[in-house]
Amino acid sequence: MASKIPHALCPLIRKLESVTRLSDEERHAIEALPVRVRTLSARQDIAREGDLATQCCLILEGWAYRYKLLSEGRRQIFSFHIAGDIPDLQSLHIPLMDHNLGTMTQATVAFIPHESMHDLTARFPSIAAKLWRDTLIDAAIFREWLIAMGRRPAFEHLAHLFCELYLKQEAVGLAGDHRCSLPITQVDLADATGMTGVHINRVLKEMRGRGLITLHRQTLVVKAWDELIRASEFDGKYLHLQKRALG
Amino acid sequence: MSLHLQPVHVATSSEDGDGQLVFADDFLVAVLVRLSDQHGADVGLWFLEAGFGLTSVARAPLFFDLDAAQDWIEGHLSSKRGSA
Repeated sequence: MASKIPHALCPLIRKLESVTRLSDEERHAIEALPVRVRTLSARQDIAREGDLATQCCLILEGWAYRYKLLSEGRRQIFSFHIAGDIPDLQSLHIPLMDHNLGTMTQATVAFIPHESMHDLTARFPSIAAKLWRDTLIDAAIFREWLIAMGRRPAFEHLAHLFCELYLKQEAVGLAGDHRCSLPITQVDLADATGMTGVHINRVLKEMRGRGLITLHRQTLVVKAWDELIRASEFDGKYLHLQKRALG
Repeated sequence: MSLHLQPVHVATSSEDGDGQLVFADDFLVAVLVRLSDQHGADVGLWFLEAGFGLTSVARAPLFFDLDAAQDWIEGHLSSKRGSA
């Protein structure tokens, strides 16, 4: 309704509107949240396993990821995050961090005190429900990752991930024409899929060879979307996007 | 325990076809593959394509040569897990 310059929390509004509907009142209440905006360098931890969180971190620009470290330098990445995501939203109710959250690229983030989030969700149970919906979709994405990790062959797994990352970006206006940012190294892809770097390299080469994708300079171009969907048995229902016709 | 190698072609669905079967006392314990130039700077390194039993690990390093690979395999075969 109000026409004003884009608000700092615009990415959050856009994200929530990609998976739910917000009334003007809800939007204004969210925009009134007090935030502390920071620019972080790439590969910087935002929250570490064992921390007791007192604030949530909203990504305004750039990429973040959640991961856990095991012995002998092993690392499991279990999610990638883009503008509009609050990767540690769960810390609002379980403040003890059981994993790490870090930036993947240089990123601008907004820290929102838990106190303000609690106050907002108490005043607007409808916003609490929408944040809950977002958390449930997060869980749905985890289920798909679990299936991919356990049951999808390498090619299908990586193709599935690319479809997901493209659609997530498209849904918040960060991608279109089957072209999106993908600032993820092969090592990251390996640690997110449980594959080795060697396998990632082979699969990427096969995807390129079959004319499905190109990937350079951190830009993924899907040249044959329908075929990529077919090859990965991708069904985007689990993303629960509001507007897009998936597939 | 002694290791011996046997050259083999491995169908990896990639250009990495040049491999070695690794036997320990006549038991197949690993399949190594030499990385092709599709791997850029890693060309020529040896990759543990498959490990069996004690060499079946989530991730092994890339090996500079076959000696390094065999040292690593021997280390794993004689690890404590082997006597457990």
